[in-house]
Amino acid sequence: MSLLEVRDLCSHYGDLQALFDLSLDVGEGEATALIGANGAGKSTLIRAIAGLGRRSRGTVRFDGQAIEAEPAERIARRGIALVPEGRMLFASLTVEENLRMGALCGRAGHWNLATVYALFPILREFRHRPATRLSGGQQQMVSIGRALMANPRLMLCDEISLGLAPVVIAQIYRAFGDIQAQGTALLVVEQDVTRACRIAQRVYCLLKGRVTLAGRASDFSAAQIANAYFGH
Amino acid sequence: MAWIETLINGVLLGGLYALFGLGLALVFGVMRMVNLAHGEFVVLAAYFAVFLAAQFPQVSPLLLLVPVALAAFGTGYLLQRLLLNRAVATDDPLTPVLVTFGIAVVLRNLMVELFGADPRALDGGALATAGFELGGLRIGWYPVLVLGLAVLAFGALQWLLRHSRFGLIVRATSDHREIVRTMGVRPRHVYGVVMGLSLAFASVAGLLLALRTSFTPFSGVERLLGAFEVVIIGGMGSFWGALAGGIALGVAQLVGQRLDSNAGALYAHLLFFIVLMVRPNGIAGQRA
Repeated sequence: MSLLEVRDLCSHYGDLQALFDLSLDVGEGEATALIGANGAGKSTLIRAIAGLGRRSRGTVRFDGQAIEAEPAERIARRGIALVPEGRMLFASLTVEENLRMGALCGRAGHWNLATVYALFPILREFRHRPATRLSGGQQQMVSIGRALMANPRLMLCDEISLGLAPVVIAQIYRAFGDIQAQGTALLVVEQDVTRACRIAQRVYCLLKGRVTLAGRASDFSAAQIANAYFGH
Repeated sequence: MAWIETLINGVLLGGLYALFGLGLALVFGVMRMVNLAHGEFVVLAAYFAVFLAAQFPQVSPLLLLVPVALAAFGTGYLLQRLLLNRAVATDDPLTPVLVTFGIAVVLRNLMVELFGADPRALDGGALATAGFELGGLRIGWYPVLVLGLAVLAFGALQWLLRHSRFGLIVRATSDHREIVRTMGVRPRHVYGVVMGLSLAFASVAGLLLALRTSFTPFSGVERLLGAFEVVIIGGMGSFWGALAGGIALGVAQLVGQRLDSNAGALYAHLLFFIVLMVRPNGIAGQRA
Protein backbone atom coordinates (compact mmCIF):
# COMPACT_ATOMS: atom_id res chain seq x y z
CA MET A 1 0.00 0.00 0.00
CA SER A 2 1.31 3.43 -0.94
CA LEU A 3 1.46 6.32 1.53
CA LEU A 4 -0.64 8.45 -0.82
CA GLU A 5 -3.12 6.98 -3.27
CA VAL A 6 -5.04 9.26 -5.61
CA ARG A 7 -7.75 7.47 -7.61
CA ASP A 8 -9.87 8.86 -10.46
CA LEU A 9 -9.65 12.44 -9.19
CA CYS A 10 -11.59 15.09 -11.10
CA SER A 11 -11.36 18.76 -10.31
CA HIS A 12 -13.02 21.86 -11.70
CA TYR A 13 -12.23 25.56 -11.87
CA GLY A 14 -15.69 26.98 -12.28
CA ASP A 15 -17.02 25.39 -15.48
CA LEU A 16 -13.53 24.37 -16.57
CA GLN A 17 -12.36 20.87 -15.74
CA ALA A 18 -8.71 20.84 -14.63
CA LEU A 19 -8.17 17.17 -13.72
CA PHE A 20 -9.65 14.14 -15.50
CA ASP A 21 -9.81 10.80 -13.61
CA LEU A 22 -6.31 11.26 -12.38
CA SER A 23 -4.58 8.49 -10.42
CA LEU A 24 -1.22 8.70 -8.71
CA ASP A 25 0.80 6.98 -5.97
CA VAL A 26 3.53 8.16 -3.65
CA GLY A 27 5.33 5.50 -1.66
CA GLU A 28 6.48 5.83 1.95
CA GLY A 29 9.69 7.90 2.09
CA GLU A 30 9.83 8.08 -1.69
CA ALA A 31 10.47 11.15 -3.87
CA THR A 32 8.01 11.55 -6.72
CA ALA A 33 8.25 14.24 -9.37
CA LEU A 34 5.31 15.80 -11.16
CA ILE A 35 6.24 17.33 -14.50
CA GLY A 36 4.21 18.94 -17.25
CA ALA A 37 3.65 22.19 -19.09
CA ASN A 38 1.89 25.23 -17.66
CA GLY A 39 -1.81 24.56 -17.19
CA ALA A 40 -1.35 20.78 -17.08
CA GLY A 41 -3.04 20.66 -13.67
CA LYS A 42 0.01 20.12 -11.46
CA SER A 43 -0.82 22.89 -8.98
CA THR A 44 -4.51 21.93 -8.98
CA LEU A 45 -3.53 18.38 -7.99
CA ILE A 46 -1.18 19.57 -5.24
CA ARG A 47 -3.85 21.91 -3.83
CA ALA A 48 -6.47 19.17 -4.00
CA ILE A 49 -4.27 16.79 -2.00
CA ALA A 50 -3.62 19.50 0.61
CA GLY A 51 -7.37 20.09 0.88
CA LEU A 52 -7.31 23.62 -0.54
CA GLY A 53 -8.99 23.13 -3.89
CA ARG A 54 -12.47 21.90 -4.61
CA ARG A 55 -12.47 18.19 -5.38
CA SER A 56 -15.47 17.14 -7.34
CA ARG A 57 -14.99 13.39 -7.66
CA GLY A 58 -12.55 10.58 -6.87
CA THR A 59 -10.68 9.46 -3.78
CA VAL A 60 -7.50 10.52 -2.02
CA ARG A 61 -6.16 8.05 0.54
CA PHE A 62 -3.36 8.92 2.93
CA ASP A 63 -1.95 6.08 4.99
CA GLY A 64 -5.06 4.07 4.10
CA GLN A 65 -7.52 6.75 5.28
CA ALA A 66 -9.85 8.57 2.88
CA ILE A 67 -9.05 12.28 3.21
CA GLU A 68 -10.71 13.75 0.12
CA ALA A 69 -13.61 15.19 2.12
CA GLU A 70 -11.49 16.55 4.98
CA PRO A 71 -10.68 20.25 5.46
CA ALA A 72 -7.07 21.38 4.96
CA GLU A 73 -6.64 21.90 8.72
CA ARG A 74 -7.22 18.22 9.46
CA ILE A 75 -5.14 17.00 6.53
CA ALA A 76 -2.25 19.09 7.89
CA ARG A 77 -2.49 17.33 11.26
CA ARG A 78 -2.37 13.96 9.51
CA GLY A 79 1.13 14.84 8.30
CA ILE A 80 0.84 16.43 4.86
CA ALA A 81 2.76 19.72 4.61
CA LEU A 82 2.77 22.14 1.69
CA VAL A 83 5.55 24.30 0.25
CA PRO A 84 3.23 26.48 -1.82
CA GLU A 85 3.91 28.05 -5.19
CA GLY A 86 5.20 31.59 -4.71
CA ARG A 87 6.40 30.64 -1.19
CA MET A 88 3.55 32.51 0.55
CA LEU A 89 5.66 33.54 3.53
CA PHE A 90 3.98 35.61 6.23
CA ALA A 91 5.21 39.15 5.64
CA SER A 92 4.34 40.41 9.14
CA LEU A 93 6.37 37.64 10.74
CA THR A 94 10.11 37.19 11.19
CA VAL A 95 11.94 34.19 9.75
CA GLU A 96 11.77 32.36 13.08
CA GLU A 97 8.08 33.18 13.56
CA ASN A 98 7.36 31.82 10.08
CA LEU A 99 9.12 28.59 11.04
CA ARG A 100 7.18 28.39 14.32
CA MET A 101 3.91 28.60 12.38
CA GLY A 102 4.84 25.30 10.76
CA ALA A 103 5.07 23.59 14.15
CA LEU A 104 1.48 24.49 15.14
CA CYS A 105 0.14 21.04 14.23
CA GLY A 106 2.14 19.73 17.15
CA ARG A 107 3.59 16.67 15.39
CA ALA A 108 6.73 15.34 17.05
CA GLY A 109 9.79 14.25 15.11
CA HIS A 110 13.27 15.09 13.95
CA TRP A 111 12.55 18.59 12.70
CA ASN A 112 12.58 21.58 15.04
CA LEU A 113 14.16 25.06 14.97
CA ALA A 114 17.64 23.68 15.68
CA THR A 115 17.57 20.99 12.97
CA VAL A 116 16.05 23.36 10.38
CA TYR A 117 18.81 25.89 11.14
CA ALA A 118 21.35 23.10 10.76
CA LEU A 119 19.87 22.27 7.36
CA PHE A 120 19.85 25.93 6.22
CA PRO A 121 22.49 27.73 8.38
CA ILE A 122 21.86 31.08 6.70
CA LEU A 123 18.37 31.20 8.26
CA ARG A 124 19.79 31.23 11.78
CA GLU A 125 21.74 34.36 10.92
CA PHE A 126 18.58 36.12 9.62
CA ARG A 127 16.13 34.63 12.09
CA HIS A 128 14.93 37.98 13.47
CA ARG A 129 14.47 39.61 10.06
CA PRO A 130 11.07 39.97 8.39
CA ALA A 131 10.84 36.85 6.21
CA THR A 132 10.01 38.70 3.00
CA ARG A 133 13.18 40.84 3.22
CA LEU A 134 15.34 37.83 2.37
CA SER A 135 16.57 36.89 -1.11
CA GLY A 136 14.38 34.58 -3.20
CA GLY A 137 16.45 31.50 -2.44
CA GLN A 138 16.53 32.22 1.29
CA GLN A 139 12.77 32.76 1.26
CA GLN A 140 12.36 29.37 -0.38
CA MET A 141 14.46 27.86 2.42
CA VAL A 142 12.11 29.47 4.97
CA SER A 143 9.13 28.03 3.14
CA ILE A 144 10.65 24.54 3.10
CA GLY A 145 11.74 24.88 6.73
CA ARG A 146 8.22 25.97 7.69
CA ALA A 147 6.78 22.83 6.08
CA LEU A 148 9.42 20.63 7.76
CA MET A 149 8.57 22.02 11.21
CA ALA A 150 5.33 20.03 10.96
CA ASN A 151 7.40 16.83 10.75
CA PRO A 152 5.32 15.73 7.77
CA ARG A 153 5.18 12.20 6.40
CA LEU A 154 4.54 13.74 2.99
CA MET A 155 5.79 17.12 1.81
CA LEU A 156 4.19 18.68 -1.27
CA CYS A 157 6.54 21.10 -3.08
CA ASP A 158 4.99 23.33 -5.73
CA GLU A 159 7.45 24.95 -8.19
CA ILE A 160 10.18 25.57 -5.64
CA SER A 161 12.84 26.42 -8.22
CA LEU A 162 10.77 29.04 -10.03
CA GLY A 163 12.74 32.26 -10.55
CA LEU A 164 15.83 31.11 -8.66
CA ALA A 165 19.45 31.04 -9.83
CA PRO A 166 20.81 27.54 -10.74
CA VAL A 167 23.38 27.65 -7.90
CA VAL A 168 20.61 28.33 -5.38
CA ILE A 169 18.38 25.63 -6.85
CA ALA A 170 21.18 23.06 -6.55
CA GLN A 171 21.74 24.11 -2.94
CA ILE A 172 18.04 23.68 -2.11
CA TYR A 173 17.75 20.29 -3.80
CA ARG A 174 20.83 19.06 -1.92
CA ALA A 175 18.73 19.43 1.26
CA PHE A 176 16.18 16.98 -0.15
CA GLY A 177 18.51 14.06 0.56
CA ASP A 178 18.50 14.97 4.28
CA ILE A 179 14.74 15.42 4.25
CA GLN A 180 14.14 11.99 2.68
CA ALA A 181 16.65 10.43 5.07
CA GLN A 182 14.31 11.42 7.93
CA GLY A 183 11.53 9.39 6.34
CA THR A 184 9.55 12.17 4.69
CA ALA A 185 8.08 11.35 1.29
CA LEU A 186 8.15 14.08 -1.35
CA LEU A 187 5.82 15.04 -4.17
CA VAL A 188 7.66 17.69 -6.16
CA VAL A 189 6.33 19.83 -8.99
CA GLU A 190 9.27 20.74 -11.20
CA GLN A 191 9.46 22.41 -14.61
CA ASP A 192 12.99 21.18 -15.31
CA VAL A 193 12.55 17.59 -16.52
CA THR A 194 16.22 16.59 -16.20
CA ARG A 195 16.39 17.79 -12.62
CA ALA A 196 13.06 16.14 -11.78
CA CYS A 197 14.31 12.77 -13.07
CA ARG A 198 17.54 13.14 -11.09
CA ILE A 199 15.95 13.77 -7.70
CA ALA A 200 12.90 11.52 -7.98
CA GLN A 201 12.50 7.78 -7.91
CA ARG A 202 9.18 8.00 -9.71
CA VAL A 203 7.92 10.47 -12.32
CA TYR A 204 4.44 11.44 -13.43
CA CYS A 205 3.91 13.62 -16.47
CA LEU A 206 0.67 15.55 -16.72
CA LEU A 207 -0.89 16.97 -19.86
CA LYS A 208 -4.18 18.85 -19.85
CA GLY A 209 -5.31 17.26 -16.62
CA ARG A 210 -4.41 13.64 -17.50
CA VAL A 211 -1.41 11.43 -16.70
CA THR A 212 0.49 10.83 -19.93
CA LEU A 213 3.47 9.01 -18.45
CA ALA A 214 4.12 7.29 -15.13
CA GLY A 215 6.91 5.10 -13.82
CA ARG A 216 10.51 4.92 -12.69
CA ALA A 217 12.47 7.94 -13.82
CA SER A 218 15.31 5.81 -15.19
CA ASP A 219 12.98 3.80 -17.46
CA PHE A 220 12.23 6.60 -19.92
CA SER A 221 14.20 8.09 -22.77
CA ALA A 222 14.29 11.85 -23.34
CA ALA A 223 12.13 11.38 -26.45
CA GLN A 224 9.45 9.48 -24.53
CA ILE A 225 9.29 12.20 -21.88
CA ALA A 226 9.17 14.93 -24.51
CA ASN A 227 6.22 13.16 -26.16
CA ALA A 228 4.35 12.89 -22.87
CA TYR A 229 5.20 16.50 -22.01
CA PHE A 230 4.07 18.11 -25.23
CA GLY A 231 1.56 15.49 -26.34
CA HIS A 232 2.79 14.72 -29.86
CA MET B 1 -3.72 77.30 34.51
CA ALA B 2 -7.22 76.69 33.21
CA TRP B 3 -5.71 75.87 29.79
CA ILE B 4 -3.43 73.22 31.23
CA GLU B 5 -6.44 71.72 32.96
CA THR B 6 -8.28 71.65 29.63
CA LEU B 7 -5.34 69.95 27.96
CA ILE B 8 -5.04 67.30 30.66
CA ASN B 9 -8.77 66.59 30.62
CA GLY B 10 -8.62 66.42 26.83
CA VAL B 11 -5.91 63.77 27.01
CA LEU B 12 -7.99 61.82 29.50
CA LEU B 13 -11.14 62.05 27.37
CA GLY B 14 -9.01 60.89 24.45
CA GLY B 15 -8.52 57.57 26.21
CA LEU B 16 -12.23 56.89 25.77
CA TYR B 17 -12.20 57.80 22.08
CA ALA B 18 -9.16 55.57 21.62
CA LEU B 19 -11.06 52.64 23.10
CA PHE B 20 -13.83 53.20 20.53
CA GLY B 21 -11.31 53.01 17.73
CA LEU B 22 -9.29 50.07 19.08
CA GLY B 23 -11.81 47.36 18.19
CA LEU B 24 -12.44 48.88 14.79
CA ALA B 25 -8.70 49.08 14.05
CA LEU B 26 -8.19 45.46 15.19
CA VAL B 27 -10.90 44.09 12.90
CA PHE B 28 -9.73 46.17 9.97
CA GLY B 29 -6.09 45.26 10.55
CA VAL B 30 -6.71 41.51 10.69
CA MET B 31 -9.65 40.93 8.35
CA ARG B 32 -9.54 44.04 6.14
CA MET B 33 -13.19 44.41 7.07
CA VAL B 34 -15.05 47.54 8.16
CA ASN B 35 -17.66 46.94 10.84
CA LEU B 36 -20.34 49.61 10.41
CA ALA B 37 -22.30 48.22 13.36
CA HIS B 38 -19.43 48.97 15.77
CA GLY B 39 -21.24 52.00 17.23
CA GLU B 40 -24.48 50.06 17.79
CA PHE B 41 -22.58 47.42 19.73
CA VAL B 42 -21.06 50.17 21.89
CA VAL B 43 -24.60 51.39 22.70
CA LEU B 44 -25.95 47.85 23.17
CA ALA B 45 -23.23 47.20 25.75
CA ALA B 46 -24.28 50.38 27.55
CA TYR B 47 -27.91 49.18 27.69
CA PHE B 48 -26.76 45.83 29.00
CA ALA B 49 -24.76 47.62 31.70
CA VAL B 50 -27.83 49.71 32.66
CA PHE B 51 -29.89 46.52 32.84
CA LEU B 52 -27.30 44.81 35.07
CA ALA B 53 -26.99 47.90 37.28
CA ALA B 54 -30.76 47.82 37.83
CA GLN B 55 -30.63 44.14 38.79
CA PHE B 56 -27.66 44.52 41.12
CA PRO B 57 -27.82 48.09 42.48
CA GLN B 58 -25.28 47.41 45.23
CA VAL B 59 -22.53 46.42 42.73
CA SER B 60 -20.11 49.15 41.61
CA PRO B 61 -20.61 49.95 37.91
CA LEU B 62 -16.92 49.31 37.32
CA LEU B 63 -17.31 45.67 38.32
CA LEU B 64 -19.97 45.38 35.63
CA LEU B 65 -17.16 45.74 33.09
CA VAL B 66 -16.40 42.03 33.48
CA PRO B 67 -19.81 40.52 32.60
CA VAL B 68 -20.42 43.15 29.92
CA ALA B 69 -17.06 42.47 28.23
CA LEU B 70 -17.59 38.69 28.41
CA ALA B 71 -21.07 38.94 26.89
CA ALA B 72 -19.68 41.19 24.14
CA PHE B 73 -16.91 38.71 23.42
CA GLY B 74 -19.41 35.88 23.03
CA THR B 75 -21.67 37.99 20.84
CA GLY B 76 -18.76 38.97 18.61
CA TYR B 77 -17.53 35.39 18.27
CA LEU B 78 -20.97 34.05 17.33
CA LEU B 79 -21.71 36.96 14.98
CA GLN B 80 -18.47 36.32 13.11
CA ARG B 81 -18.88 32.54 12.96
CA LEU B 82 -22.55 32.55 11.95
CA LEU B 83 -22.72 35.54 9.65
CA LEU B 84 -19.68 37.71 8.99
CA ASN B 85 -17.28 34.93 7.95
CA ARG B 86 -19.49 34.32 4.96
CA ALA B 87 -19.31 38.00 4.06
CA VAL B 88 -15.51 38.10 4.45
CA ALA B 89 -15.13 34.94 2.34
CA THR B 90 -16.59 36.72 -0.71
CA ASP B 91 -13.30 38.68 -0.98
CA ASP B 92 -15.33 41.75 -1.95
CA PRO B 93 -14.78 44.52 0.63
CA LEU B 94 -18.26 45.88 -0.04
CA THR B 95 -20.07 42.73 1.20
CA PRO B 96 -19.13 43.05 4.89
CA VAL B 97 -19.81 46.79 4.70
CA LEU B 98 -23.37 46.16 3.50
CA VAL B 99 -23.97 43.30 5.94
CA THR B 100 -22.78 45.28 8.96
CA PHE B 101 -24.75 48.31 7.77
CA GLY B 102 -27.84 46.09 7.83
CA ILE B 103 -26.96 44.79 11.29
CA ALA B 104 -26.63 48.39 12.50
CA VAL B 105 -30.13 49.28 11.24
CA VAL B 106 -31.65 46.16 12.79
CA LEU B 107 -29.91 46.68 16.13
CA ARG B 108 -30.89 50.36 16.30
CA ASN B 109 -34.57 49.58 15.79
CA LEU B 110 -34.44 46.57 18.07
CA MET B 111 -33.07 48.79 20.84
CA VAL B 112 -35.87 51.35 20.30
CA GLU B 113 -38.37 48.50 20.52
CA LEU B 114 -36.83 47.03 23.67
CA PHE B 115 -35.67 50.08 25.61
CA GLY B 116 -37.58 53.03 24.11
CA ALA B 117 -36.05 56.19 22.71
CA ASP B 118 -35.58 58.06 26.02
CA PRO B 119 -32.02 58.96 26.96
CA ARG B 120 -30.48 56.68 29.60
CA ALA B 121 -27.32 56.92 31.65
CA LEU B 122 -25.41 54.77 34.09
CA ASP B 123 -25.15 56.24 37.59
CA GLY B 124 -21.50 56.28 38.54
CA GLY B 125 -22.24 57.44 42.10
CA ALA B 126 -19.36 59.19 43.83
CA LEU B 127 -16.91 58.10 41.12
CA ALA B 128 -18.43 60.36 38.48
CA THR B 129 -17.71 63.55 40.41
CA ALA B 130 -14.76 62.66 42.65
CA GLY B 131 -11.43 64.25 41.85
CA PHE B 132 -8.15 65.42 43.27
CA GLU B 133 -5.98 68.52 43.29
CA LEU B 134 -2.56 68.32 41.67
CA GLY B 135 -0.40 71.45 41.80
CA GLY B 136 -3.48 73.62 41.86
CA LEU B 137 -5.15 71.67 39.03
CA ARG B 138 -8.46 69.91 39.48
CA ILE B 139 -8.47 66.44 37.90
CA GLY B 140 -11.34 63.94 38.03
CA TRP B 141 -10.77 60.32 39.05
CA TYR B 142 -13.11 59.06 36.37
CA PRO B 143 -11.13 60.37 33.36
CA VAL B 144 -7.85 59.20 34.92
CA LEU B 145 -9.39 55.76 35.29
CA VAL B 146 -10.61 55.79 31.70
CA LEU B 147 -7.21 56.70 30.32
CA GLY B 148 -5.61 54.08 32.54
CA LEU B 149 -7.97 51.41 31.23
CA ALA B 150 -7.37 52.53 27.65
CA VAL B 151 -3.59 52.33 27.99
CA LEU B 152 -3.97 48.95 29.69
CA ALA B 153 -6.21 47.67 26.88
CA PHE B 154 -3.80 48.91 24.19
CA GLY B 155 -0.79 47.47 25.99
CA ALA B 156 -2.49 44.12 26.54
CA LEU B 157 -3.56 43.86 22.91
CA GLN B 158 -0.12 44.85 21.68
CA TRP B 159 1.50 42.25 23.90
CA LEU B 160 -0.99 39.60 22.82
CA LEU B 161 -0.35 40.24 19.14
CA ARG B 162 3.46 40.57 19.39
CA HIS B 163 4.41 37.90 21.89
CA SER B 164 1.73 35.24 22.28
CA ARG B 165 1.08 32.14 20.22
CA PHE B 166 -2.40 33.48 19.50
CA GLY B 167 -0.90 36.73 18.20
CA LEU B 168 1.42 34.78 15.90
CA ILE B 169 -1.58 32.95 14.45
CA VAL B 170 -3.58 36.17 14.06
CA ARG B 171 -0.76 37.96 12.20
CA ALA B 172 -0.13 34.97 9.94
CA THR B 173 -3.85 34.61 9.19
CA SER B 174 -4.02 38.28 8.31
CA ASP B 175 -1.17 37.73 5.79
CA HIS B 176 -2.42 34.52 4.09
CA ARG B 177 -5.71 33.21 5.35
CA GLU B 178 -5.64 30.19 3.03
CA ILE B 179 -2.06 29.02 3.61
CA VAL B 180 -2.43 28.98 7.43
CA ARG B 181 -4.97 26.20 6.99
CA THR B 182 -2.17 23.90 5.78
CA MET B 183 -0.55 24.50 9.19
CA GLY B 184 -3.63 23.34 11.06
CA VAL B 185 -5.07 26.83 11.75
CA ARG B 186 -8.82 27.40 11.37
CA PRO B 187 -9.13 30.98 10.06
CA ARG B 188 -12.86 31.16 10.79
CA HIS B 189 -12.20 30.48 14.45
CA VAL B 190 -9.38 33.05 14.52
CA TYR B 191 -11.68 35.66 12.96
CA GLY B 192 -14.35 34.81 15.54
CA VAL B 193 -11.95 35.44 18.42
CA VAL B 194 -10.75 38.70 16.83
CA MET B 195 -14.33 39.97 16.44
CA GLY B 196 -15.01 38.88 20.03
CA LEU B 197 -12.04 40.93 21.25
CA SER B 198 -13.12 43.89 19.12
CA LEU B 199 -16.62 43.95 20.62
CA ALA B 200 -15.23 43.38 24.13
CA PHE B 201 -13.15 46.56 23.77
CA ALA B 202 -16.18 48.36 22.30
CA SER B 203 -18.32 47.26 25.25
CA VAL B 204 -15.78 48.57 27.78
CA ALA B 205 -15.85 51.91 25.96
CA GLY B 206 -19.66 51.83 25.87
CA LEU B 207 -19.95 51.27 29.60
CA LEU B 208 -17.41 53.95 30.45
CA LEU B 209 -19.15 56.46 28.21
CA ALA B 210 -22.53 55.64 29.76
CA LEU B 211 -21.07 56.80 33.09
CA ARG B 212 -20.27 60.18 31.58
CA THR B 213 -23.02 60.99 29.07
CA SER B 214 -26.55 59.84 28.43
CA PHE B 215 -27.29 57.76 25.35
CA THR B 216 -30.23 56.68 23.18
CA PRO B 217 -30.59 53.84 20.64
CA PHE B 218 -29.47 56.39 18.04
CA SER B 219 -26.14 57.24 19.68
CA GLY B 220 -24.32 54.51 17.76
CA VAL B 221 -23.80 56.60 14.63
CA GLU B 222 -21.95 59.25 16.62
CA ARG B 223 -19.82 56.59 18.32
CA LEU B 224 -18.96 55.02 14.98
CA LEU B 225 -17.97 58.41 13.57
CA GLY B 226 -15.68 58.96 16.56
CA ALA B 227 -14.19 55.49 16.17
CA PHE B 228 -13.56 56.06 12.47
CA GLU B 229 -11.89 59.40 13.10
CA VAL B 230 -9.63 57.80 15.69
CA VAL B 231 -8.61 55.01 13.34
CA ILE B 232 -8.01 57.31 10.38
CA ILE B 233 -6.08 59.95 12.35
CA GLY B 234 -3.97 57.15 13.83
CA GLY B 235 -3.39 55.32 10.56
CA MET B 236 -5.50 52.34 9.48
CA GLY B 237 -4.61 49.23 11.42
CA SER B 238 -2.06 50.91 13.72
CA PHE B 239 -2.88 50.46 17.41
CA TRP B 240 -0.63 53.03 19.02
CA GLY B 241 -1.63 55.41 16.24
CA ALA B 242 -5.25 54.88 17.30
CA LEU B 243 -4.38 55.76 20.90
CA ALA B 244 -2.63 58.94 19.73
CA GLY B 245 -5.58 59.68 17.43
CA GLY B 246 -8.04 59.32 20.30
CA ILE B 247 -6.03 61.69 22.48
CA ALA B 248 -5.76 64.24 19.66
CA LEU B 249 -9.55 64.15 19.23
CA GLY B 250 -10.18 64.48 22.97
CA VAL B 251 -7.89 67.50 23.26
CA ALA B 252 -9.41 69.13 20.15
CA GLN B 253 -12.91 68.70 21.54
CA LEU B 254 -12.20 70.18 24.97
CA VAL B 255 -10.09 73.05 23.60
CA GLY B 256 -12.93 73.73 21.16
CA GLN B 257 -15.41 73.72 24.01
CA ARG B 258 -13.41 76.37 25.83
CA LEU B 259 -13.29 78.59 22.76
CA ASP B 260 -16.91 78.05 21.85
CA SER B 261 -18.98 76.24 24.43
CA ASN B 262 -21.56 74.93 21.96
CA ALA B 263 -19.29 73.51 19.32
CA GLY B 264 -16.63 71.29 20.94
CA ALA B 265 -17.31 68.38 18.63
CA LEU B 266 -16.94 70.64 15.60
CA TYR B 267 -13.29 71.21 16.46
CA ALA B 268 -12.68 67.49 16.76
CA HIS B 269 -14.18 66.95 13.32
CA LEU B 270 -12.13 69.87 11.95
CA LEU B 271 -8.95 68.29 13.29
CA PHE B 272 -9.94 65.04 11.59
CA PHE B 273 -10.53 66.92 8.34
CA ILE B 274 -7.15 68.65 8.51
CA VAL B 275 -5.30 65.37 9.24
CA LEU B 276 -7.11 63.76 6.32
CA MET B 277 -5.92 66.59 4.05
CA VAL B 278 -2.33 66.76 5.29
CA ARG B 279 -1.59 63.11 6.15
CA PRO B 280 -4.22 60.92 4.50
CA ASN B 281 -2.52 57.79 5.84
CA GLY B 282 -2.65 58.98 9.44
CA ILE B 283 -0.03 59.76 12.08
CA ALA B 284 1.47 56.27 12.11
CA GLY B 285 0.78 55.41 8.47
CA GLN B 286 3.28 55.67 5.64
CA ARG B 287 3.21 58.84 3.59
CA ALA B 288 1.27 58.49 0.38
